[in-house]
Amino acid sequence: MTTNFITGIISIALGLFYTITAMLLPRMAMGDKLGPKIFPYVVGTVAIITGIALILQDRNPAKKSKKAEFGFAKYKSVWIRIALISITGIIFGLVIDSVGYMISTAVFMFIVAILINKNRYVQNLIIALLFSIITYGVFAVALKLSLPRGFLEQMLPF
Amino acid sequence: MHTILMNLAVGFQTAFTFTNIVWVFVGGILGTVIGMLPGLGPATGVAILIPITFGMNPATALITMAAVYYGAMFGGSRASIMINTPGDASAIVSCFDGYPMTKAGKAGTALAISAIASFIGGMIGMIFLIFLSQPVASAALKFGPAEMFSLMLFALVATITLSEGNLLKGLFSIALGLMLSTIGIDALSGTMRFTYGLSSLQDGIDFLVIIIGVYAVTEVYKNLKSIDTVYKFDSKHIGKVWVTKDEFKQSFWPMLRSSPLGFVIGVLPGMGGTIATFMSYAMEKNISKHPEKFGKGTIEGLAAPEAANNACSCGALVPLLTLGIPGSGTTAVMLGALMLLGVRPGPTLFTDHPEIAWGVIASMLIGNIILVIINLPLAIPLVQLLRVPQRIMLPLIMGLGLIGTYFLNYSSSDLILVIIAGVVGFLFSILEVPLPPLVLALILGSTTEQSFRNSLVLSDGSPAIFFQKPISAVFIVLAAVSLAYALIKRKRQAAK
Repeated sequence: MTTNFITGIISIALGLFYTITAMLLPRMAMGDKLGPKIFPYVVGTVAIITGIALILQDRNPAKKSKKAEFGFAKYKSVWIRIALISITGIIFGLVIDSVGYMISTAVFMFIVAILINKNRYVQNLIIALLFSIITYGVFAVALKLSLPRGFLEQMLPF
Repeated sequence: MHTILMNLAVGFQTAFTFTNIVWVFVGGILGTVIGMLPGLGPATGVAILIPITFGMNPATALITMAAVYYGAMFGGSRASIMINTPGDASAIVSCFDGYPMTKAGKAGTALAISAIASFIGGMIGMIFLIFLSQPVASAALKFGPAEMFSLMLFALVATITLSEGNLLKGLFSIALGLMLSTIGIDALSGTMRFTYGLSSLQDGIDFLVIIIGVYAVTEVYKNLKSIDTVYKFDSKHIGKVWVTKDEFKQSFWPMLRSSPLGFVIGVLPGMGGTIATFMSYAMEKNISKHPEKFGKGTIEGLAAPEAANNACSCGALVPLLTLGIPGSGTTAVMLGALMLLGVRPGPTLFTDHPEIAWGVIASMLIGNIILVIINLPLAIPLVQLLRVPQRIMLPLIMGLGLIGTYFLNYSSSDLILVIIAGVVGFLFSILEVPLPPLVLALILGSTTEQSFRNSLVLSDGSPAIFFQKPISAVFIVLAAVSLAYALIKRKRQAAK
């Protein structure tokens, strides 16, 4: 599949989904009746037309776009790392408030560092701990931002 | 003239304190360091350094941000010169002659002329900015909703027509950005739109989260392929970071010619540093008596694009500060940083908060001077950082990006959003969908929609209003012309 074709399909799908959601918005009882819907209609239509045009552009052999190269097989390890880093990031978001800043950040940094900087456990542990402690020192202590306090932070005198 | 000097004096009063100068140093060095990292450009630098301004008073924060922005501009070409790897697209041209100079053992000269040219380009750009911003802002003050909408339309269209790449993919990027901008409570009617029952979407999507996603997380993902690359350079033979009198003479006119060119290109939306640097390089090569020397390490070939790039970044501040329209990814990030500090760039900034508008301008001037001081004597120690391998830098960028996102609103759902934005940005880079139009559309979306609807209310629903108002009609014609130009240009390229 070409890059134009995939982008075109995404554009049409998003445009349709968006326009239909806009249609389902409650009608305004008063004021300008089209109000909050008119702009989404225009944008949704533009997206759908753009998508169709992208797909049609590929019919012209001279303008045919190149094949989309995701490289799932060739760059398998890169894709796995991206997936794992993303999942780690999302989990970091889910636990930061309850676990507290320092521990969650240090663990997050350690996992990300291991995924990128493979096999250097000691180096990565140092990076993770320093990152967590220094950023906490700068932002929570020096700049006085209120960062999530877990049990570790509550034991600190500041 | 008199009022401009008075205003500038007010700006200097705001900017010129001991604390601020210290922060200009710190921000300038940090910006230079991040702008310098191979593969990571100024946009990423500004995006991940936003948190350092938290807790500062607004004036200091602004000045620090301006220094970061400027530092990133100065730093961008260091990697081009030393290791032939541009930090971002606008530093590509600096590789052409900068790297051959390094190979010829003249790295010191290259680093020096790059800093000097950046300084001169920046200074000339600032002077133009000082004289141009007030008149533009005053003109824009008279804009009604119809003019505002047409201006936004022109800015968005210009972003995709003036840059390279597929027009339709750019249009898709804009449409997606506009869609994202409509999520949350509608400012005009109070209706909740496109939240799909998620309470975290009620306040809309914070565009800074998307910016950090596509400029920090996406960049980390893109660089994962090359983490094992080790950059090597010989730091013993950099030489003295200075230029001789002859070398300066040789670069003098190219710098002076490229600066106005870069500035004008910077003012136009969508034509960022990449086009400015390529055009100034082509211009110098054309008028040079020795065009064959270009690409082989001639000093003009480095001085011209460096001056053009920094003048361009000043030009980009004109629409940013006076109209609230960022012209490039980096200025979009800068706009985000300003808005976070409570500064809403736009025509009223110059009338309602002249001390802030002129404070930013004054601090850019101070930043420019301090950065050339940083970049000459500290050039050699700073470039040593290029040796830090990607596999150590990338986790740090990822970490700074994520904690920076969290600090914006202390919202853990923003962390999920920033990851999604990063993954989508990475997929888009494979599909060759440009990301700056999306970011711009997301930022300009609510103003675009509100001015569109207010115009229609004024005209009882007739879109003719956009053509009846003369200024509005001019912007629509400009948008149409830039679209036609792009179509013709691409047809010609296809025919070749």
